[in-house]
Amino acid sequence: RSTSGAEPESARARGAGAERGEHREGERGAAGIRCVAYNNQSNRLAVSRTDGTVEIYNLSANYFQEKFFPGHESRATEALCWAEGQRLFSAGLNGEIMEYDLQALNIKYAMDAFGGPIWSMAASPSGSQLLVGCEDGSVKLFQITPDKIQFERNFDRQKSRILSLSWHPSGTHIAAGSIDYISVFDVKSGSAVHKMIVDRQYMGVSKRKCIVWGVAFLSDGTIISVDSAGKVQFWDSATGTLVKSHLIANADVQSIAVADQEDSFVVGTAEGTVFHFQLVPVTSNSSEKQWVRTKPFQHHTHDVRTVAHSPTALISGGTDTHLVFRPLMEKVQVKNYDAALRKITFPHRCLISCSKKRQLLLFQFAHHLELWRLGSTVATGKNGDTLPLSKNADHLLHLKTKGPENIICSCISPCGSWIAYSTVSRFFLYRLNYEHDNISLKRVSKMPAFLRSALQILFSEDSTKLFVASNQGALHIVQLSGGSFKHLHAFQPQSGTVEAMCLLAVSPDGNWLAASGTSAGVHVYNVKQLKLHCTVPAYNFPVTAMAIAPNTNNLVIAHSDQQVFEYSIPDKQYTDWSRTVQKQGFHHLWLQRDTPITHISFHPKRPMHILLHDAYMFCIIDKSLPLPNDKTLLYNPFPPTNESDVVRRRTAHAFKISKIYKPLLFMDLLDERTLVAVERPLDDIIAQLPPPIKKKKFGT
Amino acid sequence: MVQLRPRASRAPASAEAMVDEGQLASEEEEAEHGLLLGQPSSGAAAEPLEEDEEGDDELDDEAPEELTFASAQAEAREEEWRVRETVRRDKTLLKEKRKRREELFIEQKKRKLLPDTILEKLTTASQTNIKKSPGKVKEVNLQKKNEDCEKGNDSKKVKVQKVQSVSQNKSYLAVRLKDQDLRDSRQQAAQAFIHNSLYGPGTNRTTVNKFLSLANKRLPVKRAAVQFLNNAWGIQKKQNAKRFKRRWMVRKMKTKK
Repeated sequence: RSTSGAEPESARARGAGAERGEHREGERGAAGIRCVAYNNQSNRLAVSRTDGTVEIYNLSANYFQEKFFPGHESRATEALCWAEGQRLFSAGLNGEIMEYDLQALNIKYAMDAFGGPIWSMAASPSGSQLLVGCEDGSVKLFQITPDKIQFERNFDRQKSRILSLSWHPSGTHIAAGSIDYISVFDVKSGSAVHKMIVDRQYMGVSKRKCIVWGVAFLSDGTIISVDSAGKVQFWDSATGTLVKSHLIANADVQSIAVADQEDSFVVGTAEGTVFHFQLVPVTSNSSEKQWVRTKPFQHHTHDVRTVAHSPTALISGGTDTHLVFRPLMEKVQVKNYDAALRKITFPHRCLISCSKKRQLLLFQFAHHLELWRLGSTVATGKNGDTLPLSKNADHLLHLKTKGPENIICSCISPCGSWIAYSTVSRFFLYRLNYEHDNISLKRVSKMPAFLRSALQILFSEDSTKLFVASNQGALHIVQLSGGSFKHLHAFQPQSGTVEAMCLLAVSPDGNWLAASGTSAGVHVYNVKQLKLHCTVPAYNFPVTAMAIAPNTNNLVIAHSDQQVFEYSIPDKQYTDWSRTVQKQGFHHLWLQRDTPITHISFHPKRPMHILLHDAYMFCIIDKSLPLPNDKTLLYNPFPPTNESDVVRRRTAHAFKISKIYKPLLFMDLLDERTLVAVERPLDDIIAQLPPPIKKKKFGT
Repeated sequence: MVQLRPRASRAPASAEAMVDEGQLASEEEEAEHGLLLGQPSSGAAAEPLEEDEEGDDELDDEAPEELTFASAQAEAREEEWRVRETVRRDKTLLKEKRKRREELFIEQKKRKLLPDTILEKLTTASQTNIKKSPGKVKEVNLQKKNEDCEKGNDSKKVKVQKVQSVSQNKSYLAVRLKDQDLRDSRQQAAQAFIHNSLYGPGTNRTTVNKFLSLANKRLPVKRAAVQFLNNAWGIQKKQNAKRFKRRWMVRKMKTKK
């Protein structure tokens, strides 16, 4: 169905995953979250997903995803942890411990632990030692050296796999949760001091084994364990006995995280509920305290496989691919919008590219690309109507990537004849030929090695040049002609550290290329003369979207704190409009949006319009209209028609926001009268997920 | 084949001659037909034919020949010498054959192994600590047990060779196949364990369809489930029905005409 909107006619193209109801985990759309690890010093969160991707979110930059490491088919991470000096380690079922290089954006090394698949990993409180629990029941201690890790020794081997580990804050003892029992080890001797048997069912007998999914060791010697019977149990490690048992769910309790002050902890269950436990005094003026379950949160629909506790918030992630931040009201200092719930569902970068001439959309998934031709309609109607399609959207191409690695980035040229995508080890360039509705694909072989691991790919407007930003910081320009390519130039990295979210923007006339991706600001290069033209001053929040306007060559940059700047490239300074906006400031509701702007585009005939969108709205900024101040209504879809013209003019302002399409993955102007919007309904995402726990509801 | 003259006298006959005499009967017939396979045999067949007849005549009519001791001795020595010669010649022939075979095998073995340059590179490269950055990796089956033992001393745990950039174009990852199989089976067992414990029997899981339809059930005006039709039901029956319908149509057309 296609709708005709207010000014342009729009055709709605449903996301590619919408029509298929098959369940293929991670195949279409985002993969579920498996582990999170919070780093207090830098206020960053590392998230690893079931397809092997590891993402780093910067919580101070408005929860923006600033780095990511692409996944791999054989990598199934089961544990993630930070060690001293901002070093990130992960371990998985392939038996290897991997260290990630956050500066160079690659994997430093992978060391085999030789214990079989690794189920759990914990860094010592001092940050200098690493403990892994393996499939064969062994607990191995590694020493973290400045450039690598080194195996130190094995602890006493246990009978079944070690599924969870926790260090005592002093580093002298370790609690290891296994199947049906928990062991307490002494670190110095490596021997098991206690072995505590866990009941298979709360006050009952059960045939199913009780799997201890998580353990936490507190400094007073209490061990908290969560298991598959739905219990949270408190043990005393000095005597090896059970102190208290809580039954909180009918399904598994799969994760636990304790705050640094040890006065609260959070657990996640398989039903999607997250419980907050707090240490409260027994009576109002007594010194004796006890653990009480205070708050339940139901923000997930599927298993919550991992939780983390930051000083002010509870973080949870699970199979339903959402990452939820729940700030705790008592911990938050300033009660403003920062204390609201944040849910990250959609990617923070654009995974869809569009060929305007041929009306094609290229969708990027983890292991394949899909090329769709948009449908068309010949019917007409008035504003707000949904028109029937005369020609349906066509699935033209399903391009599977070779090898187990995930696709990092992809792009289709505006003329539709070139498709390029990059994985960690290879770069692929394809030439497409169209003959009467048939499409044929030919691969350009022998791509140079320096193009691999590209962070961003972009074609010029006339499709003769290909711009590739590599993860070493260099920017390559490749000339395309006929069926072959020629490497023209490589811009070497300027000063500043390389960031992962490198974005590229090219001007429609082909003269200018803008690249963000270093901490020094956005660089603008002159493509014809192959030299650096100017640098936009650095801003302390990362860039989320960038585009260059036709004719005026104004560079519009959107940052993660929802600021939008307009910089004139020929004049090498911010435009007057941008200065006015900065002086007045954006509307407070605009700044409180919690999803970043992922795409900016322009109207070819209307230079005063900027079209941008985030996950829940799209907005046309009309630079000729006055800016709204905090008192005006930001979101006014249809000005009241019965009011007088004067009132209408007064309430009209530059930001025309529409929320008719959401959740929005992509929106662009195809030509002067057509807009394409790609939605990804949440139900479709849920349809691809693994089965949830059955919940009995009254009346069903 | 060397043939000794089969004499009526007690001349030592070689084994081959004995065999030939045994086969003479059949070979005579074959010679008549001219279907003999090997040249020497036909020669053997030809000679004794004449000799036998002569020998027979002599035996019947005349007295045996008188031979001096010396001539007999000389003849015997000649025979012995001839036999020794044959044996020696055979031995040398066999020796040569064996030598040639050995050389051939050595050649083939050399061809099978990688060229020396690559082996050198591998041994030198394995000394340095190489990052596991995947290039175009291929798993090559190499028997590197010797090097494994060597490297075992360097770092306790690194048994698997991870070597990179043997040649400019491709990079190789040398792995011991035995380890890889074990690792895969363990990984699969681990994944099966997780799947069983989370989604296996005994867990209280529901389907996605039921989960999404729960809301529909509780609406004031109840609605159908999200996926109401089961398109996978009775596929065989539907196919049979389609085939039957087609055949029936064809039959109907035929009878109409």
